[in-house]
Amino acid sequence: MEFLTTFVNGLSLGGIYAMIALGYTMVYGIAKMLNFAHGDIIMVGGYTILLFLAVNPIVAIVASMIFCMLLGIVIEKVAYKPLRGASPLAVLITAIGVSYLLQSISQMIFGSAPKFIVIAELGILKIGGLSIGYSTIITLACSLVVMIALSLFVKFSKTGRAMVAVSEDKGAAQLMGINVNNIIMITFAIGSALAALASVFFLLKAPTMSPTFGSLPGIKAFTAAVIGGIGSIPGAMLGGILLGVIECFAQSVPVISPYTDAIEFSILIILLLVKPSGLLGKKRREKV
Amino acid sequence: MKKAILKVLALCMCAAMLLCSLVACGDKKNDKIVIGLTGPLTGGASIYGIAVRNSAQMAVDEINEAGGLNGIEFKLDMRDDEHKAENVANLYTGLVEDGMQVSLGTVTTKPGLEFKNLSKDDNVFFLTPSATGDAIPEYDNGYQMCFADSNQGTAAAEFFNENYVGKKIGIFFKADDEYSKGINDNFKAALDDSFDVTEANFTGDASTFDSQIATLKDCEIVFMPIYYTPASQFMTQAKSVDNSITTYYGCDGFDGIDAIEGFDITSIPQEISMLSHFNSTATEGPAAEFIKKYNDKYDEAKEPLNQFGAAAYDCVYAIYEALKVAVENGKEVTAETSASEMCDILTEVFNSDSFEFRGITGKCEGNEKSHISWSEDGTVVKEAIKYIVKEKNA
Repeated sequence: MEFLTTFVNGLSLGGIYAMIALGYTMVYGIAKMLNFAHGDIIMVGGYTILLFLAVNPIVAIVASMIFCMLLGIVIEKVAYKPLRGASPLAVLITAIGVSYLLQSISQMIFGSAPKFIVIAELGILKIGGLSIGYSTIITLACSLVVMIALSLFVKFSKTGRAMVAVSEDKGAAQLMGINVNNIIMITFAIGSALAALASVFFLLKAPTMSPTFGSLPGIKAFTAAVIGGIGSIPGAMLGGILLGVIECFAQSVPVISPYTDAIEFSILIILLLVKPSGLLGKKRREKV
Repeated sequence: MKKAILKVLALCMCAAMLLCSLVACGDKKNDKIVIGLTGPLTGGASIYGIAVRNSAQMAVDEINEAGGLNGIEFKLDMRDDEHKAENVANLYTGLVEDGMQVSLGTVTTKPGLEFKNLSKDDNVFFLTPSATGDAIPEYDNGYQMCFADSNQGTAAAEFFNENYVGKKIGIFFKADDEYSKGINDNFKAALDDSFDVTEANFTGDASTFDSQIATLKDCEIVFMPIYYTPASQFMTQAKSVDNSITTYYGCDGFDGIDAIEGFDITSIPQEISMLSHFNSTATEGPAAEFIKKYNDKYDEAKEPLNQFGAAAYDCVYAIYEALKVAVENGKEVTAETSASEMCDILTEVFNSDSFEFRGITGKCEGNEKSHISWSEDGTVVKEAIKYIVKEKNA
């Protein structure tokens, strides 16, 4: 029974990681850049919920998603777009700069101490000997819905197919009449909205938010994206869930628990040695 | 020509430097016994430093009003270290230059580790109210009024041995934190073997504890030698797991758990208790008297009292009492006694078996003040009290 509880907890944590990892992987696939400020969008999302929570929890969640979407677009337009064509290193450093900027601004506004943000108090579901929090079930269900919806969107909608086209060959896509700038903007918007959604599920699990909250889930989700094969949407989902389950099982054994993070990142290193393109990543032949 | 000007300039600078150093040498004559310390008066930990400053000042004023040490008054000199170790060296030098003779060390542990090294070389006596680190009283000149990290674990275990016989005990600690690990190791060592103990831990800034809660859900008493933020997160998350926990028991890291913004402590069904050396909700006895005096003098909302302040109040009085004992034993103590002489005098008193201080921290029985003494290694000996932050919900 304990095994099952841990497994379900792992799946739901993995669902959150997958949601964040999707943001990393889509931006990488389409803009070919690592958006290290992505984790901090989660934090901004959490604080936005705090601001609107007095109105209504649902309003707060929607407001947070919209605000993060706009923030994602603004960051892209102001910080990343002028650097398109610059060396990848310049873009990477800019992303780290944006990350620190977001953290510092939040610290100025909300202070460094963690704030409690209780969206809703959900009860416990008991089936036989199994007892699972409703928050875990909702997280699991929502992340599944989001992943399916996103897969369908990318596969069948016009914009989604344009995204695939841009990720495969930017130049050719442009020649086919796709507005690359718009597609990149939409990618950032979707990724940021997903990050805001992830913050909702984090807050349902653990109702505290601090200015540096985003960095660890951000790095974990990035790891998940790389494990799954960065640039691949199903890969991000698989990587996220795998990482979540591993994390929960490692934490449930007291002797191993202190090394949870080390285990997760070691898996990344080993996987990169064995399969550099990730579990579901495309193999690229380099032409010499 | 240019060279000549340069030479003159260089000479001028040399002269200026000499003059400066002479000015700095100017020995200040004390007319009061100066008690120096550093602590955070600004920044995130300022709530502790301000309570210490106010309480220590209160003790100094009371002693002076009562005639001081045979007519010699005391003076408090507190500097703001912002809870940063790197600030301590400068502040310490400043304190020494301004005539510090005896010290309360630092308010927090991190700067305290720096302070103990500096004060060792100069042989300056310090009795810290609240730097709990095990290494703080490492040298002969350092003493603590608070429980050291490790003897908090022992004191907690003794409490468990007496009060929680036969209960299932859970421990939730932070595996990458010396404070938490230290208390936990000592707790386990001093706990009776008859207890059924389950452990869970976390590292870093983790804030989701699903797995740890699943591990500990069948325990009755959960011991948490951690700071209040992760503790409050654990308690909140445990609400959505079917568990048999009745009591959360913490150490001084729980201080402030009832004042976290947005954390509704009444929504936690369990009892929340902590090992403490000061009962900040006392309604009678010496502790209550002190609380009343403090709140009459300072704004409770802006500069709230906490156990740090109570300990600082005791520190000043302990130094005063010890000096009184020394004078009775024929030692000469004046406002001009050097810090090093003062240190020798005080350590002799503090190390003697007969010296016992009666204070407001530790366990006060009725109107009696508590019994406080010090062991040779500089750690305090007094009885811990269980302070119930929040009763179990009916």
